[in-house]
Parts: sequence; structure tokens; C-alpha cells
Amino acid sequence: MAKACSTLSTWARSEPMDDAFEVPAEWYDGTNALRHSGVLRWDGRGGLSLQASSSRVDLNAADLRFGETRTDRTLYRRESVPDFRLILPNDLPPGLASQLPGKSEYGAWVDKLGLGKAAAIFSAVSVAAVALFMTAPDWLGPRIPASWERNIGEAMVGDFGGRICHTPEGDAALAKLLGKVDPAREKVRAGIANMDMVNAIALPGGQVLLFDGLVQQAESPEELAGVLAHEVGHVRERHVMTALLRQFGLSVLLAGADSGLTNGAVGLASMGYSRDAEREADDYARARMAQSDISPLGAASFFERMAKEHGGEDNSPALLGWIASHPSSNERAKAYRDAAAGRTAYPPAITDDEFEALKTMCADDPDVEEFEFF
Amino acid sequence: MQGSQDMEGSDSAFVFEGNWKDFARIALPNLLLTIVTLGIYRFWATARERRYLWSRTRFVDEHLEWAGTGMELFLGFVMVILLFGLPYFGLSFVAQALIARGYEAIGAGLGAIALISIFYLGGVARFRALRYRLSRTRWRSIRGGSDSGGFLFGLSYMWKTMVGWLPLGLLVPWSMTSLWNERWSKMSFGPFAFEADAEAGGVFARFLLFYLAPFVMFVGMLIMGGMGMLAGYGIGGENGRAIGGIVGVIGIVLFFYLGLGLIAVAFYAKFYREVVGATRWRSLHFSFEASTMDWVKLLIGDALLVVFTLGLGFVFLSYRHWKFFMTHLEAGGEILLDELTQSQTRTAKHGEGLLDAFDMGAI
Repeated sequence: MAKACSTLSTWARSEPMDDAFEVPAEWYDGTNALRHSGVLRWDGRGGLSLQASSSRVDLNAADLRFGETRTDRTLYRRESVPDFRLILPNDLPPGLASQLPGKSEYGAWVDKLGLGKAAAIFSAVSVAAVALFMTAPDWLGPRIPASWERNIGEAMVGDFGGRICHTPEGDAALAKLLGKVDPAREKVRAGIANMDMVNAIALPGGQVLLFDGLVQQAESPEELAGVLAHEVGHVRERHVMTALLRQFGLSVLLAGADSGLTNGAVGLASMGYSRDAEREADDYARARMAQSDISPLGAASFFERMAKEHGGEDNSPALLGWIASHPSSNERAKAYRDAAAGRTAYPPAITDDEFEALKTMCADDPDVEEFEFF
Repeated sequence: MQGSQDMEGSDSAFVFEGNWKDFARIALPNLLLTIVTLGIYRFWATARERRYLWSRTRFVDEHLEWAGTGMELFLGFVMVILLFGLPYFGLSFVAQALIARGYEAIGAGLGAIALISIFYLGGVARFRALRYRLSRTRWRSIRGGSDSGGFLFGLSYMWKTMVGWLPLGLLVPWSMTSLWNERWSKMSFGPFAFEADAEAGGVFARFLLFYLAPFVMFVGMLIMGGMGMLAGYGIGGENGRAIGGIVGVIGIVLFFYLGLGLIAVAFYAKFYREVVGATRWRSLHFSFEASTMDWVKLLIGDALLVVFTLGLGFVFLSYRHWKFFMTHLEAGGEILLDELTQSQTRTAKHGEGLLDAFDMGAI
């Protein structure tokens, strides 16, 4: 390409060029580091030629691409010869400047729109995108089919690797309790997890787990019924998918796409619901308990005890999970107590023997695995 | 037309001619656009910054040119997300699911595989970032590059780093210099390869400072703590002693971080003098003359700039670092321009996505 140092004679025959049709130029042909210094001439129709004592290059203005601005010069490239570089002074005659490609400063879109306009449009799009992203869990969560949710739940935790306690008596007692708070024909799956924590969770795919720690400190079956009904409420009101999406979104924001650690069982245990979701689940629980004639006072005394242990009105943010993300325990205790409306006599939700079977379920199950994270 | 460039006896071969006011006109709109695009513009911002910094840097008699684009950096990033981010995410998910099902060993094993691949890819990324920068850097229209994809270097990076740490970290200087040599020896500019033969011996003494540190620190802490206590007694009473204790603890913490930081700076200052000084290209030899004090001034300047502009000054850090780098980089020797022909290395169509994702520097 740059061996074009041929016929200067054709130019010698033409009219002497006006000075305005000639500017000093430097170029590199891209094959080696030798600099060519000479002049750029143009014919006014887009035809350009570079002439130096040792070489001559003909090129077309349409082939040139803007490269970069230097302190007092501008660098152009050639589309057809990517390694070629042409360096021209900044103050070009208008006749030549109009044929050369315009400067590009920020990138194609912003150059076209102008900085201010582009910034305004980008801001609007970004705000909309953020709003969509932030609200997505709320409107997308409930629309995800239950079967998908079940599959996601299956993929994430499966059967918890045999860490759910089972005894025939305990299973029967739990089924009876569940039947009272979950009247739907297809029941959620409930289990007691062999984990010494005062907590309970609703997992994706309609699975509810009470932790053995919570069962152990329960003073009446009604307390367990309240907690169980509440978690069933989360499942039935489709809160789980919403919380899962929110958790996922947060982890994407916090760690890029890398959410390995927060995404597994540990993440599930710390997954939180919004206060509105908690109230809805509580409302669901009270409605089911009223239907089945279960005393809400058990749940009330549970929350009163929680309030006493965890400082009452304010939610201790250090506590993850069930207790912390819920509305204040006092407030909830009052709501359950109000639901009884002064009535104190209720039939027991399950018998004392059945309650005892639940309490000893984990200790009596010889096959249950220990729950440990690493 | 000159046939050769002789740099002996002349001023510095690398001259930086930019000024911060011009750079501000690049960096501040970049910041605005990066914010309003939720960070997506940063690839184009990087390209704009580099175009400025490179074009204001003169090597002998011609300015450098940055020929990279924002789009290719963006594509590099997207590629990393698709090729590595998603599989890593999937692997972690499977590992967690296995652990939840009770297969702790397999789960942990998969998790370990994910971590090891990150380690490996980190090495590949270091290589490819340098290759990318060389392939987009032009001087007199000539560019650099490498014929290697860096996948073997990734393996070297893994085993040399591990071996470096095994004997109480004593071989870290060896692994660092040896990896520098390996990486640069695979790079070329124009038709000629770089050569590097940095030796660990040159930086080993400085590295031993890290081992000396605990003892120096312990003594320093005793002194600082004691002085705090004494000051407390000076104020007098229980309160005085408590205040003295707090002053002492603050002194100890400051001493610890500043002391360790200073040792690290001293080591890296020496390291860069050694490795750049041991790097050659054809008949050119390079040197990097920044002393520990120069580095300390740079870092303190960085900190003050960021603090006193309430954080806004961070956009100038890349400018400061490039200027620092170019001010202290020297080259000597002769370049024959006729034999400096175009690089025949293949160029990737995408940017340093991996490194960008792992957020590391190139050199």
C-alpha cells in the first residue's frame, strides 16, 4: 500500500495548486515505524493525496476515520488500512475540514445527542430501570407459577439431607396441627428441622420448617399453631418468591452476579419479608386459627415472651431471620390478644400427648442428621 | 526521515505533557455519564481517559496512541459475565444445594473448584490485560501484542504463587519476579519480543522487612502504649489513665497500619525498580527510578486529594498514577526505525474484561 511512490508526473502536468489546497501532513503507512513528512493535497471532491519526497499515497476522504485529538494536531485512521495513521494540524482550511470526518468525543450516542441531552435521557432510563428492578419482586413474585417455585425450592434445598426429624407420633401430631391451619386440599409440606435455633422459615416451593429450638421453648401447642399458621400464610400469600427475588436482586447489587454464599441455605435462613408481608401472614394465621377454633392467646404469649427477651418495641437488627424482620413483638402480641376478644376458653389444638410427641421428635429420631453449615 | 533513534545522553525518553485541567474536562463528564448510565459508561470513560493520557505522552519524538475503544471493553465485560460469571454462579448454586441435601463433602469440593478456577483465571487475566494494553498502544503506528493466550501463564501463576507462599512466604519474591519475567517474555512490540530477567535476590532483602515487622511493631507498640499511659498519668486520676489508654490504643493501631503500609511501599518501590530495570526490548533497556519516598508522596497526595475534595478527587487518581509512572520510567538504547515493522500478533476483538471484572491493575 505505501509503496505508492510512483508517478509524480501526472501532478506536474496539472494547474499549479493554490496554497489553500495544500496543508502540511505527517503519516505512517503502518508497515513500519518510518515517519513520512510532506503535504496533503485535495481536489475538492473527496480525493486526497499525500506527497513526500520519497512516497506518495492516494486516498479517499470517505475512507478516513477520526482517531484522536492531540495538543495541536488531529490523528486520522483509514478504514481500509487499519494500521495507517495520518496526522494533520488542527487549523485546517474549511474546504478540507468539511471533507474530513468529524470529531468523536464521548462515543456515538452521546456525540449525536449532545452531553446535556444524553445525560438527561440516560438519567430517565436509569431511574426507570432502577424502579423496575426495585419493584420487580413485588409484582413478579406472585406471578411466578407455583410449579416453578416448587422446582426452585427443590433445586435449592431438596429434602434438607435428612435433617428433618421424623417419628410416627410426631409426624401425626404435626399433620393434625397443619390440617387445622392449612385447610387447602394440597397441604404445604411442614417439618421440624434438627436445629437449635428459635426460628421458623417458609421455603420456596411450599415447604415450612419449624426449628427444634423453637419447638423446645414453646409452652403450649397453640404457640406452635400460631407460628406454623404464620409461615403457611407466607406460602399461601406467595411471599416466598417475592422475598427470594428481592434477596437475589440484593445479592446481584452487592456482589455483582456472584451470590454463591448468600444464595444457599444460609441465605434462606436470613431471608427477610417486608413488614406488610408479615402483617398479611399474621392476618392469615388469625383467620385460620379462628376457623379452627384455636386460641390466639398462645401466639400472644409467645410474642410477649419474645418482646421481653429481645427488648420490646424495637427490632434488634443483629438478630437475623424470623424474629428480627417481623413487626415489633409487642404490637403483634396485642393483635393476637385482641383476636381472642376476651375469650379465654378454647379447646386444645392438639392433645398433651401429641404436643409431647412434637417436643421429643428430634431427640427420638435415630436417623436425623445434625444441621451444620460447614 | 530518520533511520534510527538514539536516546543516549538526551532527556528522558518518556515525557508526559498533559495537565490536570485538560484531564478534568475528560474526567468530570465521564463521571456524570457513568453515574447516569448506572456505571455502563465506565468502559467508554476508560477509553477516553486512556486516549488522553496516551496522546499526551511522548516517547522520544512521537506521542503514544491509545487505539482501544469503549465498546470492546464493554464486550470484554459481557463476555466475562457470560463465560465465567454464570458458570461460577451455577457451580456455587449447585454446591450450596448439595450442602443443603447433606452432601457436604461434594458440595465443599465443588465450591473449592469454583475458587480454584477463580485463582487460575486471575492469572490468565493478568496476562491478557497486559497483552490487551500492548496491542492497543501504538507508537509511530506500530503496536505490541503477544502470540500467547495466557492460558499456560495461568497455570504458572497458580503453582508459582502457591510455592511462593508455602515456605512461610519466603519464596514470594521469587514467584513475583519469575512471573514478571514469564509474562513480559511472552510480550512483543512490533516484530521484537520483550526480554525480562529480574532476579529475586534483588528484592529479597526488602521482602525480609515483612518478617522484621512484628518485632519492630511490638517494640513500637510498647513505646506508643507506654507513652499513652504516661500522658494519661500526666493528666492525672482515673480519667486521665483511661484517656491515656485510648490515646495509646489509637497510637498502636496507627503505628500498625502505617508501619505495615510503609513496609509494603518500600518493598514495591524496590520491586518495580528491579523488574523494570531487568526488562529489555531489542537494544532498549528500561529503568524505573521511583524511590520509596516518591511512592509515599504519591500515596499521601492521593489520600489528601480524595479527602479534601470529599471524594470527587478520585477521578484524578488515574491521571496522577500515569504521570507518576511516565515521570519515573526511563529508556535508553537505540531503535532502528526501518526494522521496526508492524506487529504480526493476533489481536483480540474484546477488551480486558476478565481483569476488569476482578478489578486489578495491569502492570
